[in-house]
Amino acid sequence: MKKLLKYMKGHTLECVLAPLFKMIEATFELLVPLVVANMIDMGISEGDNTYLIKMSLVLAALGALGFLFSVTAQYFAARAAVSFAAVVRSRVFGKIHSLSFSQIDKVGTSTLVTRITGDVNTVQNGVNLALRLFLRSPFIVFGAAVMAYIVDKKATIVFLVTILILAVIVYTIMFISMPLYKKVQGALDKLTLTTRESLGGARVVRAFGMEEAQKKKFAVANNELNHFQKFAGTVSALTNPLTFVILNGAIVWLIYSGAVRVETGAITVGAVVALYNYMSQILVELVKLANLIVTLTKGVASGGRISAILDMEDEITDGEASADDVALKMDNVSFSYNVSNEPALKNISFEIRKGETLGIIGGTGSGKTTFTELLGAYYLATEGEVSVFGLDVSKWDKNLLREKIAYVPQKAVLFIGSVRDNLRWGNEGATDEELFEALKAACAYDFVMEKDGALDYNVIEGGKNFSGGQRQRLSIARALVKKAPVLILDDSASALDMATEAKLRANIKALSWGPAVVTVSQRTSSVMHCDKIIVLDEGEAVGIGKHSELLENCAVYKEIYDSQFGGAQQ
Amino acid sequence: MKLTLKRILRYIGRYKILLVLSVFLAAVTVALSLYLPTAFGSAIDSIVGFGNVDHNGLIKSLVVAAVVIAVCALLQWVMNVINNALTFGVAKDIRRDAASKLGALPLSYIDAHPEGETVSRVITDVDQFTDGLLMGFTQFFTGVITIVGTIGFMLRVDWRIAIAVIVLTPMSLFIAKFVSANTYKMFALQAKTRGEQTAFAKEMIENQKVVRRFGREDENIRIFDEVNERLRDCTLKAVFFSSLVNPSTRFVNNIIYAAVALAGSLVIVGNVGGITVGGLSCLLAYATQYAKPFNEISGVITELQSSIACAERVFELLDTESETPDGNVIPEVIKGNIRFDNVSFSYNENASLIENLNLEIKAGQRVAIVGPTGCGKTTLINLLMRFYDVDEGQILIDGVNIKDIPRKVLRSSFGMVLQDTYLFKATVFENIAYGKEDATNEEIEAAARAARSKGFIGRLPAGFDTVIGEGAAQLSQGQKQLLAISRIMKGLPPMLILDEATSSIDTRTEMIIQEAFARLTEGRTSFIVAHRLSTIRNADVILYMENGSVKEKGTHTELLALDGGYAKLYNSQFN
Repeated sequence: MKKLLKYMKGHTLECVLAPLFKMIEATFELLVPLVVANMIDMGISEGDNTYLIKMSLVLAALGALGFLFSVTAQYFAARAAVSFAAVVRSRVFGKIHSLSFSQIDKVGTSTLVTRITGDVNTVQNGVNLALRLFLRSPFIVFGAAVMAYIVDKKATIVFLVTILILAVIVYTIMFISMPLYKKVQGALDKLTLTTRESLGGARVVRAFGMEEAQKKKFAVANNELNHFQKFAGTVSALTNPLTFVILNGAIVWLIYSGAVRVETGAITVGAVVALYNYMSQILVELVKLANLIVTLTKGVASGGRISAILDMEDEITDGEASADDVALKMDNVSFSYNVSNEPALKNISFEIRKGETLGIIGGTGSGKTTFTELLGAYYLATEGEVSVFGLDVSKWDKNLLREKIAYVPQKAVLFIGSVRDNLRWGNEGATDEELFEALKAACAYDFVMEKDGALDYNVIEGGKNFSGGQRQRLSIARALVKKAPVLILDDSASALDMATEAKLRANIKALSWGPAVVTVSQRTSSVMHCDKIIVLDEGEAVGIGKHSELLENCAVYKEIYDSQFGGAQQ
Repeated sequence: MKLTLKRILRYIGRYKILLVLSVFLAAVTVALSLYLPTAFGSAIDSIVGFGNVDHNGLIKSLVVAAVVIAVCALLQWVMNVINNALTFGVAKDIRRDAASKLGALPLSYIDAHPEGETVSRVITDVDQFTDGLLMGFTQFFTGVITIVGTIGFMLRVDWRIAIAVIVLTPMSLFIAKFVSANTYKMFALQAKTRGEQTAFAKEMIENQKVVRRFGREDENIRIFDEVNERLRDCTLKAVFFSSLVNPSTRFVNNIIYAAVALAGSLVIVGNVGGITVGGLSCLLAYATQYAKPFNEISGVITELQSSIACAERVFELLDTESETPDGNVIPEVIKGNIRFDNVSFSYNENASLIENLNLEIKAGQRVAIVGPTGCGKTTLINLLMRFYDVDEGQILIDGVNIKDIPRKVLRSSFGMVLQDTYLFKATVFENIAYGKEDATNEEIEAAARAARSKGFIGRLPAGFDTVIGEGAAQLSQGQKQLLAISRIMKGLPPMLILDEATSSIDTRTEMIIQEAFARLTEGRTSFIVAHRLSTIRNADVILYMENGSVKEKGTHTELLALDGGYAKLYNSQFN
């Protein structure tokens, strides 16, 4: 949290003036009962009308000045808090874009989203409220006690005891009910999950006839929620009645002991009224203070979580571009996601030149995607050297390196916006002509042209207005728009039928800029035409060579081939 | 709006006794707390000055005050507890109705509405509605009584000053209205901008790997900052305007306070009425209490409005038409003869999909459905499972129209694995046992073994007891499919549907699973949708579909000999 405070820079003035002005306003408020006491003791008892009018004007002036100071303070506080939050949000979003993939994996994307939305808001509220109240509330609570001391020394002890008891009550209830509200939240989360299951998993739920079971699960969570809500509510409902009793009890005591002291002539009636008024002021501010503490605790916790993200190390981005005929090369490369795990890739070596094609084949979980992520330096090899155009990827400037590689992911992700917007991810400046060219090469031209507005057609969330196969072809087109010297297709034709895939393969081979192409697949038919094929089995390269060679001397490859073409049976 | 209110009242009506009690207690507690300053006032009046204190009067007033304090506090607490029981009870009832609805929503509704939207109706909207309702009970009602009561008590103390206070009231109302009108606009804009930013951040963070592959970092940050700036502006305005409420009501309050102090003391000095110093302190206490409820009420009114809007959204969901009622023909044994009789179906009226489809499948046949993307393969399955109902014609199982069979019976006679595997946030064991709550360890392990998933389950951190996250993020697509296959392996029904069930599993594992399927599907009617032709070759019948109709039908050899669409598709993998 402390580290976040540097983003307050430029708002020092607001941060000083907001609390200060609030304190001035509070001082005015504290003066009011004193003025009233004077009106009673001097104005009324002397029958001095002029004095009374003067004092009423003072009261009104105190109110007006208090209003001005308070509004200015609110504005300063809001401006400082909101600007602070905006800066933090921007920093966190930027930071996420410079984290390495393993860091993103570790933190999790939903957590990152929460950090940038919920947590930043909590911090903003904390800062705003802190600037407004952290001087004002304690000032009024203890100020009232001090004023009581000025009015009547003997009454101070009643004030201090009352403040102490009130504080104990307010904070005890707060600390008892906070974990209860956490339970309420937990029950609500369960309810949300069950609801999502009934929707997202509707086909499975119904295919297995589990509608009733799902309803029962919901009812259990619903009852649990109701129980916790009522319990937490009952506890926190104690706050008002209890503080009401303590405070008014103190007033009863003040009036009673005051009466005795007025009789002996120690204090005046006006003083008793003033003491009564000061006591009333305490309660409101004490409750505000309790809320402030809750908000601040939450804010500090959120701030800590945000700092943790901002403190993560950036991935390395130095190194310079270079050019070489050997497009991709791995030299005895091994990699594991974390130290304790089995390596995901073991001792991989190969090289391919520009214009050549490389196929990667292997079963589920054999390390194929990891392989492509090492090429873009999203993960760094634990052992050995990965180089692109002759330079070790760890030494490349990451932005320049990634400009050289166009990538088609396994899961075809499209973004909200027009088809044109999506395709231009590959190249901001691409003309419509270039986009059409890419669409044609990706076998996506026809269905895009059929849509209303063609390139202007709107992609909805998750690209759901395209079929799975269409999404894959669009994501291929997007990569082609980039015209990068390396093209990686990560199992990106799995939803395409054989005929379309064959056509796509031919189109890619004919690309004018002749990229080095890496095709990752589970199907032999997708890689059998490649210049070089690496067969991965549980992270190990069990065969490297051409299709015909591998059929001869790689048992795993032959098994895969047979399972797809049924060669063994024929 | 009126209808919504009526429905809300119907829900509240179930708690009639609590409602009456709550209203009654609110009136009593407000009356008591308003009486308190009067008691204190008369106590102060017993203190006349030096050597002049009416001890009997003082003690009497203070004892009355003490009793009032104790009773008022107790009743306040009881009232709060009742209000909680009432509002949370209503929320529970509404949610219970929503849960029944969720199980009966037609698939067409679920497919057409984003999940998050429906979830927010059940969760957030009900919550906000409850909050509004609770505030309505605790603040609106007591607020109104407080205002009326305060005026009453002030009139009793001194009617001239009371009228002065009442005349000054509109100022407070006016300011509160001005503030809340502006705040509402600003908050609406802020909510919209924040939604825009969150959606963008979520999309980009969730797909961060793609973002980075395309080097979109700078462009993303630029877009984010642009929205961020707008958000900063409207948030500042929203926060600032909303923070005006307290100071401005305090201000009005202070002015009224000064006016009461002046008027009261002038009256005492001029000796024109029976007002005393105690009466003045009592009036001042009332004046302090007076402005607060105005402020609260105006807040509550906006809150209530938005809470009614929330209720409306929940009711909209409850009003969605449910699936058509079930039929009541329960066949004793389902053999698995299936006939499509002149079936037509389309997802929307403008684009026809399946037209006049006729098809006969004998019990025990292995049917493979192939064809280009979008040809209607998955639609056939949607119709068979009655996720969607045919528009025209009928589908018969063993001669019975499937519309006459209760859905549960029909669906339980199919074992189904879909391409988009859905796993629940639960243990691996529970996921496999899904649909059979009393499954034994042996059954589950046998199912996992048959689906070739026992191996990787063994390597998970806690084996069968490993909890799979929502959306099962830590499993690969292939592993998820293996679990879904295990799920149907535990007790195979007479018919099977495998819609791209093995598309993400490598072919070697797939072959082993196919063997298991072949053994288990013997004598069972099965439908297999697949792209991999190796999966299809051994089917008894292959249906080649194009544009919603079955173009070719026959065995692998027959269709190759036909040299039509199927042959073209098959041969393309060798080119």
